[in-house]
Amino acid sequence: MSLFADGYARRALIEALLVGALCGLVGVHVVLRKLSFFTMAMTHATFPGVVLAALVGVDLLLGSGLFGVFVVLGVSWLSTRPRSDSAAAVGVVLSAGFALGVALLSAQAGFTRDLSAFLVGSIVTVQTGDLVKTALVLVAVGLTLALVGKELVFGAFDRGGLVAAGYPAGRLDLLLLLLIQLTVVSSVPAVGTIQAVALIVAPAATARLWSDRIAPTTVLAVLLGMASGVVGLAVSQAYAVAAGAAIVLAACGFFMLSVMVAPLVRRRPVPVGVG
Amino acid sequence: MSEPLLVFDHASLAYGRTTAVEDVHGAVLSGQSVALIGPNGAGKSTLLRSVLGLVDVVAGRIEVLGTTPVRARREVAYVPQVDTLDAQFPVSVRQVVLMGRYRDVGWLRRPSPRDRAIADEALDAVGLAARREDRFGMLSGGQQQRVLLARAIAQQPRLLLLDEPFNGVDAVSQQALLAALRRLRDGGAAVVVSTHDLALAHLACDEVCLLNKHQVAFGPTDETLTPHLLRAAYGGQALELAGDNVIVAR
Amino acid sequence: MRYLIEPFGSPFMQRALAEALLLGAVAAVVSVFVVLRRLAFVSDVLTHTVFPGVVIGFVVAGTGGIVWGALVFAVLSAVLITVLAARSRVTEDASMAIVLTGFFAVGVVLVSRQTSFTSDLTAFLFGRILTVDRQQLVMTAVLGAAVLLLLGLLGKELLFRAFDPAGAEARGYRVLVLDLVLNLAVALVVVAAVRAVGTVLVIALLVVPGAAGRLLSDRLAGIALVAVGTALLAGWLGLVASWQASVNHELRLASGATVVLVLVLLYGAAAGIAALRKVRT
Repeated sequence: MSLFADGYARRALIEALLVGALCGLVGVHVVLRKLSFFTMAMTHATFPGVVLAALVGVDLLLGSGLFGVFVVLGVSWLSTRPRSDSAAAVGVVLSAGFALGVALLSAQAGFTRDLSAFLVGSIVTVQTGDLVKTALVLVAVGLTLALVGKELVFGAFDRGGLVAAGYPAGRLDLLLLLLIQLTVVSSVPAVGTIQAVALIVAPAATARLWSDRIAPTTVLAVLLGMASGVVGLAVSQAYAVAAGAAIVLAACGFFMLSVMVAPLVRRRPVPVGVG
Repeated sequence: MSEPLLVFDHASLAYGRTTAVEDVHGAVLSGQSVALIGPNGAGKSTLLRSVLGLVDVVAGRIEVLGTTPVRARREVAYVPQVDTLDAQFPVSVRQVVLMGRYRDVGWLRRPSPRDRAIADEALDAVGLAARREDRFGMLSGGQQQRVLLARAIAQQPRLLLLDEPFNGVDAVSQQALLAALRRLRDGGAAVVVSTHDLALAHLACDEVCLLNKHQVAFGPTDETLTPHLLRAAYGGQALELAGDNVIVAR
Repeated sequence: MRYLIEPFGSPFMQRALAEALLLGAVAAVVSVFVVLRRLAFVSDVLTHTVFPGVVIGFVVAGTGGIVWGALVFAVLSAVLITVLAARSRVTEDASMAIVLTGFFAVGVVLVSRQTSFTSDLTAFLFGRILTVDRQQLVMTAVLGAAVLLLLGLLGKELLFRAFDPAGAEARGYRVLVLDLVLNLAVALVVVAAVRAVGTVLVIALLVVPGAAGRLLSDRLAGIALVAVGTALLAGWLGLVASWQASVNHELRLASGATVVLVLVLLYGAAAGIAALRKVRT
């Protein structure tokens, strides 16, 4: 614990714990609905939003969040068109978003420094204000998932059934996409874009290897998300490596371990192609 | 004398550690057609795949064209169900049939005029020569099934395996399929077709193999499609109507 | 017309153009398969798994080592991904994302141990097409030729597998091997693109041309034609745009990103044309 004595280190730790929990919560649904690529695209596509927000001088979370809403709507719409393969559509949006962001950013000075921070995060420069924001997002997302989590799981498993039962399945889908978007935008300052995906997907996928029921999976995902944060930060402090990357590697490490160990420990074989 | 093109010698098939089908025993001769009948999950597709060498034989053996399934593959054609395919895929009917020639064309080479002629003939045999240039996905389900059969014919096989080709197929296409199959048999090929349609089996097949995870019967159609044996294969899902008429649920 | 030609008076712009056209054409051909096989995510994964190889190559042998490092990791990840997708013990979706981010994190860790962290990172990720030299052009040409050869020779088998994997398997084709070949083709394009547009933007070249082609055509040949045309046009116009912006409007726009933006605009145009067509029929 002497590693976390300094103020900045302590803030980084709290941010890591908050982000880990947040990503774990949302990650369960991402893994269930096979939305990993979509999440990936979201991290790339919200990039211009962050740049624009920084340019205009608006709060980054707000700016990129708003921009992100448009991206979500756009991707949703693109995926519903007939002929177009949704993966290709997502790919197009991902490319467009990122290129736009890079172009915008390159028009500014300080190109490389800002880009790095965005891509790989800079958890150690987190301020108390950021902590508060992340905590608020965590509460908001947590409450929402507590309210509609069951329906979301139902929809992931049997969308037709959900519609037949009278639920607004389309709006629930959109709600989830927006929650993912919000999570992505909140996690990016900590671990960066590409790696926000790891924190969303890996702990949940790992949890899925150990449990077949939603509640334990969710709890485990949250715990693993937080654990990845702690371990990653510790390693980062001890070996002077980028914090965001270390956190991601911790999350992936838990996953790899579980892939190898879980089938041996659990007597029932892990279901194939689950989630 | 007809030679046996496919021989099951008390064969049991398994996926990994789970046994899928047990004790299949019988032969299919040149010019014969055999119907594979059984409820869903009985192992019909597994059996077909084992003839292609794609499923492990854990007991007994399977002999195809006098050799192992893997070595015989060149002369065995497989017609999958249409709904496994992507209707949006940008291929023409002709291109699909030409795929049947690829193995003979070989790696690194292009199809020759002779290959194209064989493909066109095969399309003709199923009555779809006029739709040659249309996109595959634009045809009806039954027509698509006929195209897949044409692809198999283009392979010039000695043994033909069809996986439920008559499912949801319109009457015209059904006739065309049956006619093409008859022509193949006249040419000396053997046909194995899995189906739910008992009437069709009566109409088109010499022998029937009744399956339900194990072989219930393997013999001439009239002797095998009896209420007694059907009930044994389908369990409670067989409903007997007056006399010899039996309805089976899927 | 002068507007479109004038940027290319200097040798470095000419080389940049050559690189953009070469890369674009090859990537466009591969992207036809990427779209047909729905490999957009796999391609995205490959663009990220190459990154640590790029860093290691740079650390070991300077800028010249980048391509070799990338090549090694490209081949390794293509194999890993092909195997993972075939076994899909965990959801394929999730395991791909984890491989992607894990590899990328390794790359970031390696880069962060270097002193010139930030500018190196950007160069790896976004490329510097304007600093392409003759040696790089040759490398791109060689890799491009290898990819086109591979796809040309195995094209019909790849098509068969893409359309009907069960049928291909029944015919005795090893689907795993065919998938590996295609993944390798994607990986090689990524390697070729590393210096020019960087690993992050190459995904655009691997997805958007094919997607545009699919919108406008129902035939394989048509799709390929549109894809290549779109990529070539985007390369040309993108470089023009970023040059004109910088010279005449004092606006610095990263060239690689501009090419991608033009590409996406062309996709939008294709979508518009496709929609109009549908309205008319």
